[in-house]
Amino acid sequence: MATDLAPPATKAASKDKRPDRLPVRTALLRYRWLYLMLIPGLVYFALFKYLPMYGLTIAFQDFVPFLGYSGSPWVGFKHFENLFTGPDFGRLLFNTLFLALLTAVFVFPAPIIVALLLNELRIGVYKRFVQSLIYIPHFLSWTIVFSLTYLLFSVDFGLVAGWIHSLTGGGAKVDYLAQPEWFRPLVILQLLWKTSGWGTIIYLAALAGVDPNLYEAARMDGAGRRRQFWHVTLPAIRPTIVVMAILTSGNLLDQSFEQIWLLTNSLNRSVADVFDTFVYYVGVQQGGYSYATAVGLFKGVAGVILIFGCNWLAKRLGQRGLF
Amino acid sequence: MSASPRRILAGVLTLTTALAVSACAGGGGTEADGNTLTMMVPLFGTAPDPKGEMHQAVEKLAGKKLAITWTPNAEYNEKTNVVLASDSIPDVMVIQDNKSPSFVQAAKAGAFWDLTDKLDKYPNLKPKSEQAWINSKTDGRNYGIYRVRALLRSAIVLRKDWLDKLDLEPPQTTDDLYEIAKAFTERDPDGNGKKDTYGLILPKWPSTNFSASNPYNVIDVWFGTPNNYGMRDGKLVPEFDVPEFWEAQKYIKRFIDEGLVNPDWATLDTGKWNDPFVQGKGGIIIDVNVRAGELFDDFKELDPETYDEKVAMAGNLSRPDGKKFSYPFTGYNGIVAVSKQRVRTEQQLDDVLKTLDKLASKEGSILLNNGIEGRNFKVEDGYAVKVNDQDPAMKVINNDVEFAFIQLGMTSSVGVAGEAYEWMRPSQAEKDWLKQRDELMNLDLQTAVHDPSLPVISETAVQRGATLNPIPTDARIKYLAGDLTEEQFRAEVKRWYDSGGTQTLAELQAGMVKTGG
Repeated sequence: MATDLAPPATKAASKDKRPDRLPVRTALLRYRWLYLMLIPGLVYFALFKYLPMYGLTIAFQDFVPFLGYSGSPWVGFKHFENLFTGPDFGRLLFNTLFLALLTAVFVFPAPIIVALLLNELRIGVYKRFVQSLIYIPHFLSWTIVFSLTYLLFSVDFGLVAGWIHSLTGGGAKVDYLAQPEWFRPLVILQLLWKTSGWGTIIYLAALAGVDPNLYEAARMDGAGRRRQFWHVTLPAIRPTIVVMAILTSGNLLDQSFEQIWLLTNSLNRSVADVFDTFVYYVGVQQGGYSYATAVGLFKGVAGVILIFGCNWLAKRLGQRGLF
Repeated sequence: MSASPRRILAGVLTLTTALAVSACAGGGGTEADGNTLTMMVPLFGTAPDPKGEMHQAVEKLAGKKLAITWTPNAEYNEKTNVVLASDSIPDVMVIQDNKSPSFVQAAKAGAFWDLTDKLDKYPNLKPKSEQAWINSKTDGRNYGIYRVRALLRSAIVLRKDWLDKLDLEPPQTTDDLYEIAKAFTERDPDGNGKKDTYGLILPKWPSTNFSASNPYNVIDVWFGTPNNYGMRDGKLVPEFDVPEFWEAQKYIKRFIDEGLVNPDWATLDTGKWNDPFVQGKGGIIIDVNVRAGELFDDFKELDPETYDEKVAMAGNLSRPDGKKFSYPFTGYNGIVAVSKQRVRTEQQLDDVLKTLDKLASKEGSILLNNGIEGRNFKVEDGYAVKVNDQDPAMKVINNDVEFAFIQLGMTSSVGVAGEAYEWMRPSQAEKDWLKQRDELMNLDLQTAVHDPSLPVISETAVQRGATLNPIPTDARIKYLAGDLTEEQFRAEVKRWYDSGGTQTLAELQAGMVKTGG
């Protein structure tokens, strides 16, 4: 089954007991080609993922590029103290968490729903056509998404803004792009439009892997479409949903920087500032590399905690976790 | 061959320094070789071929081999930081943001030569504009030769055809501007019978810094506020905490409240600033004078027949009581700095500066700004005219000049011909505009209000900038949008003082006293 992320070998074995472990040397020798193939991957991760983490040390320094990693003075937790006691922290944390919550509630389930709906389509050509169509937004950059948003919601000539204005019977025009209360709905709308189509791929793959015999058996037992959906389709993709949920949880605090940055203006900054944009202001614009790194590190640690937390929760709820 | 003992010495030096470097990163780097000058320069197109005609011509003029690392402009500041952190700082480096913390720290740690008292011997490098020289100081010192730009570029660009139709003259005073904006909004300047136009076009400014050369800053200064900071009764005050500032805000707010600006003024992207002007929705832009040239070009694409009747320009305006204050720019765009790691002795420095002096000479300016005379351009009535510009070889030269070598210009550059030639503009309207541009520049310079804090750097402003800068910037926009009352705006100003503004002012003032500003 495509839904099952565990390798077939363990799956077969898991029916009874795990096989006895081989001595390391024998295992190395027996699977030498497999291990050899592993090396490029390990090198990649070591070189591009773990080695750069050395740079995180500047979060504990007053980093000056000219003096370098070894020459810059160490300052301990100064930048973290500044962050946690600074005037921006509360607002940043709230904005980031609130957006994360909205994303979890509205954006995460969207591809599941779309995939389930697509799955119910019985005309193959039409289904594939719709699928390809809804993948397109994924390939557009945030800049283009923002331009489209601007064209639709601009207070001057926005198409949608115009409709709403005439539907609600005139009155004062609402500047959706500038008003703080419309910032979060716009972010979620953009995310839904851009990501929900592409996100269906993995669920559709899971759905394709459901054994047709199960449906047949359900039909024999007299189950209608709705019953089949509840008792066959949904349980079949549940492991996929859980794995995706755990994976997503690690990125929940990552708002897409470009998306937020493009939508931000002086009028809605109070709700728009999140950790990602703050890091940009502090690090790139103001040159506070150490401070920005401290903020990023804090966010990374929070992400790790979230991912472990969700994994633990999934296991507690009787699902198979990610690790 | 006579250079071989030197070569060996250089080689030994390289080796030993390499060892020293690996022992202590950031400490060393190799020494400059007398015949080659390594450089890092911003690039706006494709990198010139070192064997190409232009590069060869520049090397010939400089009398040295030039090894130039052309670095795309979009990532230039980022790359600058990487280079500063590495051991391979080139001999000569264009520094675009010479007030950035990483450059300030590197300069103070001795990465670059302090040229404050060293340029008098070089006729072309000697600063021509005292103001630009002061503005380009980093914490009171000049760590490089400034790359010249026009010192006064602020101007108002208007739809000439609209002015003509409504029988209006370009503005002289702030009241004139208001009347024109009102007429552009209410008296149907495009003659289509519909009230579908507005006067002033305001964009969303991308920077969170309060003083960012935006239209709001220009209007503030017209009303008599300091430019960013200024001395009042022996105390340094910010632009947004003087009585004149509130006059200016009421003036701008009237435009917004009466619908004389674009409805999306708080969100319009600066990249689309020209669009409403060209599409005939709005008729006034307050920005730099070169925008008029851009608009000429935009209209030319639309309609080559009538484009020269669409753009008019006016200079800075006087306020209601008749006094005039003009908004200047800094007069430079980045500096050319000399590395102390590579260029070690005074003698070597002299050698490098002599080379740069040649590039800054009249001959050098023409080469870097126009190209090779008699090859890709010729001179007519004192203007440069392109020759055979469809020829592939000429295209290469023109591209090399326009998108690369012009960035090496110190005494002449984009928008400032200096001793080089101005490019010929085809229509009479454009020629008149160029003349008017220079006249307005000289006229308004007499009333320019300069920012006295430019040579000084405040530690607090750097460290708390991300918190401090948006406070007054956002408060102004919120006040103009009607989201804040004047009292609430004043409370935000107080919050700025309390969050580090007071300290910033004290540091700047102390620095200004120290540098004699």
